Amino acid sequence: MAGIESKCTEPEIDYNVLNSIIVDRYNQNRENLIMMMQAIQKQYRYLPITALRYLSDKVQVPLIKIFEIATFYASFSLKPKGKNIINICTGTACHLKGTGKMVEHITSKVGIKSGETTPDMLLTMDNVNCVGACAVAPVIVFNEKYYPEADLSVINTLLDQAKSE
Amino acid sequence: MKTLKIKIDGKEVTAKPDQTILELATENGIYIPTLCHSPALEPAAMCRLCMVELYEGRRKKFVTACNFPLRRDVEIKTDTPDIRQGRKLIIELLMARCADSPLLQGLAKEYGANVQRFSDLKDDCVMCGLCARVCEKVGGKTLTLSGRGVEIHVNTAFSEASEFCIGCGSCVQICPVNSIVMEDVAGERILKIHGREAARVKLVHCEMCNKHFGPVIDLTKVMSKFDKGAIPPSNANICPDCARIKLAKRIAGRYYDTI
Repeated sequence: MAGIESKCTEPEIDYNVLNSIIVDRYNQNRENLIMMMQAIQKQYRYLPITALRYLSDKVQVPLIKIFEIATFYASFSLKPKGKNIINICTGTACHLKGTGKMVEHITSKVGIKSGETTPDMLLTMDNVNCVGACAVAPVIVFNEKYYPEADLSVINTLLDQAKSE
Repeated sequence: MKTLKIKIDGKEVTAKPDQTILELATENGIYIPTLCHSPALEPAAMCRLCMVELYEGRRKKFVTACNFPLRRDVEIKTDTPDIRQGRKLIIELLMARCADSPLLQGLAKEYGANVQRFSDLKDDCVMCGLCARVCEKVGGKTLTLSGRGVEIHVNTAFSEASEFCIGCGSCVQICPVNSIVMEDVAGERILKIHGREAARVKLVHCEMCNKHFGPVIDLTKVMSKFDKGAIPPSNANICPDCARIKLAKRIAGRYYDTI
């Protein structure tokens, strides 16, 4: 079995929770690997290495394959993410409607660039290339909720909301 | 079995269905340059250097020879001006990654590539993925191509030194540009990728000559792959040279015993 080492920066992994995801919900079936990873990501807001090592051992998939999947898909993160996630669409239509300025606005106001998290772990900004809602551009996705035809005032309310939590 | 009539570089040959163009070309002594191909592994078509022209009726298309299965009677041209131009561009782009490779320098000369066309990226890998594929098949599943698009690179899990490496050296041997280095230092085998330590494997200490030789093998894991009744080696702690001496002594001893 792969040596399970814990890192002091990682959250404490509850193996009962992992077991309920891997064994109970997905029956240790390797075909459901991505769904299991999504469930783990939902639990910890990122993919902790210890959890992935445990997953690799449980479903008998080499750790490098899981790592490959985790780095391939943009929706998986190996770095801890903030409590609130703001996705700003920088696809063609949204970009033309001025989302570039919104990104700059957030950077100047909160001090995080795209893909970064505030030190208090409250907010992560991630830029996506298209959310498939170009008709209502510019689009912002805040905690999986869509805000169509957004402007700077919407961003300011969202930032305040993130800060107050 | 049905055979296909293929015309390759003006030569009429027969091919088996589902044979790849590269296999057919090799059989008929036609050279197609490749970087990411190994007959032992599944083709991946990653280097795009084996691109050939395929004529089917009035249509012409470019296909990668290494993974294109022949299913119909077609005509193939492997060395046209268009193909040469495509390969030249690929080599120019790869030369920006690793200009030091003798293999690439030879190809650049052959195709007249302008090696200074793109600025030097100061890399040493052509992203053929051979090491990752051979590691998955032969080795301990240590290496992989991580990331996507421009960020793709050969990596170990979580960019840390891997504990899965068995020190077989398949990746070192298969790398076309020699970017993976393996060194035996003080009883340990160290695998380096991009100058970073990727794995460290303990070496076996020979009981007879006190030298270190091959990597420590997890025998229980190896034996589990055989049928029941397989006998584990008795001289796993002796280097091949000493094992030969030991055997010679034993044979000689037996001979002297019979006199």
